[in-house]
Amino acid sequence: MRSGAISFRGFTWRPVGRKNPTIAGLDLHIEPGERVLLVGPSGSGKSTILHAAAGALGTTISGEATGDVSVDGRLGLVLQNPADAIVAERIGRDVAFGPENLGLPRDEIWRRVDAALAAVRLDYPRDHLTSALSGGEQQRLVLAGVLATEPDVVLLDEPTSMLDAVAAERARDAVLAAVGDRTLVVVEHRFEPWLDHVDRVVALDPGGVVGFDGSVAEFLASGGRPRLWMPGAPPPTPIEIPAEFVSPAVVPEAVDASDVVLTTRMIRGTRRHRALSGFTARLAPGTTTAITGPSGAGKSTALLAMTGLVRVSGGTVTPDRTRMRSRELAREVGWVPQNPELGFLTTSVREEVERTASVLGVEVEADELLALVGLERFAPSHPYRLSGGEQRRLAMISALAHRPGFVALDEPTVGQDRDTWAVVTGWYTAAARAGAVVALATHDPDAPRDVEIAVGEAVTAT
Amino acid sequence: MRTLITRVNPLVLLSVGAFSLIGSFAVRSLPVAAVTIGLYALAALIFLPTWRYPLACLAFSGFAAVTIVYSTWRLGGQNTEVAAVAGLRILVLAWPGSVMVGFIDPGRLSDYAAQTLRLPARGVAAFSAALQRFSGFAQTWESLERTRRARGVAPGRHPVGQVKHSGSMAFALLVQAMRGASSSSIAMDARGFADARGRTWAEPATWSRMDLAGLALAAALGAVPIVCFFAI
Ligand SMILES: Nc1ncnc2c1ncn2[C@@H]1O[C@H](COP(=O)(O)OP(=O)(O)OP(=O)(O)O)[C@@H](O)[C@H]1O
Ligand SMILES: [Mg+2]
Repeated sequence: MRSGAISFRGFTWRPVGRKNPTIAGLDLHIEPGERVLLVGPSGSGKSTILHAAAGALGTTISGEATGDVSVDGRLGLVLQNPADAIVAERIGRDVAFGPENLGLPRDEIWRRVDAALAAVRLDYPRDHLTSALSGGEQQRLVLAGVLATEPDVVLLDEPTSMLDAVAAERARDAVLAAVGDRTLVVVEHRFEPWLDHVDRVVALDPGGVVGFDGSVAEFLASGGRPRLWMPGAPPPTPIEIPAEFVSPAVVPEAVDASDVVLTTRMIRGTRRHRALSGFTARLAPGTTTAITGPSGAGKSTALLAMTGLVRVSGGTVTPDRTRMRSRELAREVGWVPQNPELGFLTTSVREEVERTASVLGVEVEADELLALVGLERFAPSHPYRLSGGEQRRLAMISALAHRPGFVALDEPTVGQDRDTWAVVTGWYTAAARAGAVVALATHDPDAPRDVEIAVGEAVTAT
Repeated sequence: MRTLITRVNPLVLLSVGAFSLIGSFAVRSLPVAAVTIGLYALAALIFLPTWRYPLACLAFSGFAAVTIVYSTWRLGGQNTEVAAVAGLRILVLAWPGSVMVGFIDPGRLSDYAAQTLRLPARGVAAFSAALQRFSGFAQTWESLERTRRARGVAPGRHPVGQVKHSGSMAFALLVQAMRGASSSSIAMDARGFADARGRTWAEPATWSRMDLAGLALAAALGAVPIVCFFAI
């Protein structure tokens, strides 16, 4: 009999610090070789289910698990944040980590490394530096590392959420070719492109219960479940956020970037990397500007340069805020980072929202803001104990609660279901309507905008 | 010459630090201290691909040295020479090692630690994966600082504020490292690390002639103050 089955029997999970279970009595059986798409609103428990299958709940992540989980055969897991999974300085050694653990002889290790790198179409030499890979390439490297152990089951958590359509398609092809006839479970919000390649769809409802389980055809015929990005449906209308929450507390000022160049140094100053070259833009009050471009093109860098949070190596940005004191800068600029985890300053969700505003002496209604983004239940929780999408929404309102005049968001719509997407986009469009300067770095073609600026081709080391 | 450093084995690089540490105990007079530091600086100029990085390390160990000089001067009867020697001794002790660490590839180090030194395989592999995370630390620090600035909580020019700020940043970094570590351990276990028995190594730990020459050079540099100590 082939291995690769996964089964949950009456599985319940209550993380530390939560009154109610986040997964309640889950029964799910996946056959060897089946390809399953796992979908559900933000916070419904998708990542938790993958962690459970990997045996991390109750061990690495603390909480109380009851019921049964069993995985038959070897398991490979690619987490939501690929950078956490990289263990070596060079790509060859990184992929070799799994085969080394299996105690394979040296030539077999390298045969598998080369095969895995080829399968994910990462064609760099074995000694290429892992720190020189873009986010999408890192994701493929981690996948190669998993494939090299020849797992029976492959679990992927939002493997293409950070990629533009072209890069996402390339990554998807690589995954499908490499997975072959192994069991595959993939989690994704924008799942349409996966539908042609999976046998079965499992949709979770809020609270971690299965709301739909069946074939792709049945899923489409059933009309899906609320809040999911069903194929063909037009993007939701951004919700109306009352002006009192977003109208700038300072007078917004246009931002001009002219011919901006930014280089960074890598590996102890021995190499230079040009992150941005010749970027020119004008951001006007009351306007939403989207900065777009392929993966690795420098969207985030361009956004940062305009906020004055980094010094440019060439060209000018006006007003120049690089020498401003932190408080004055914060009063004028609200920046929402791409990786929300790096932004948390406090130990509870409510304090997080109030933090900047209280430093600046601006009044905020934290509970109302939290209710708007659907996080009111989590007010006393630790910000780190939220799902990926929840953390992003928290990071957004924490950075914008004090109503700055320049709103800069880095990939704000990633990892959101339809409802939370409408909140996020509603927030910044309302800010622009109230007169703020709004800029977002994004690869989401549906995110509303008035003006679009494309940054150049992916730039390489010089 | 200047890329040799990336080709010698990591134990040789570590030995540079170890020998300088042993040698530092024999630094007892100003001329010896000056000669030793001079020779290390010369070696750095000849063998390292960049001079900025060793200079940065020098600045860091120099900071430690200056505090030692000052306290020795205060407590040691305000004798300038004794104080200067104490400071330079710290430089000899810390500088070469701190520079070398920056050039060590954690993966290669674990090959040698496990195969030449025969340390336990699982511990070595875990350690090397943890070291790998350190290379991302500078970047993480930058991002943390940036978010804090954007959120209005970075310090002004006031020194007390600065110190408090570094404290909270270090704490944030620690939390971040621990969170990263728990996801890392999930990811590592999902690649067979949890039940690795009889782990193998993708690359052998060999000792070339160049490695031996490097080891000899490291020993010679470390021996300079010792020889001087006995000769004078
Ligand atoms: N480490 C944790 N400790 C406590 N609770 C957590 C933790 N991580 C997630 N949760 C909670 O468990 C629930 C499910 O989270 P999970 O991360 O599985 O959601 P998800 O479906 O993956 O969402 P997203 O699409 O936003 O990534 C959420 O309510 C979340 O707040
Ligand atoms: Mg998730």
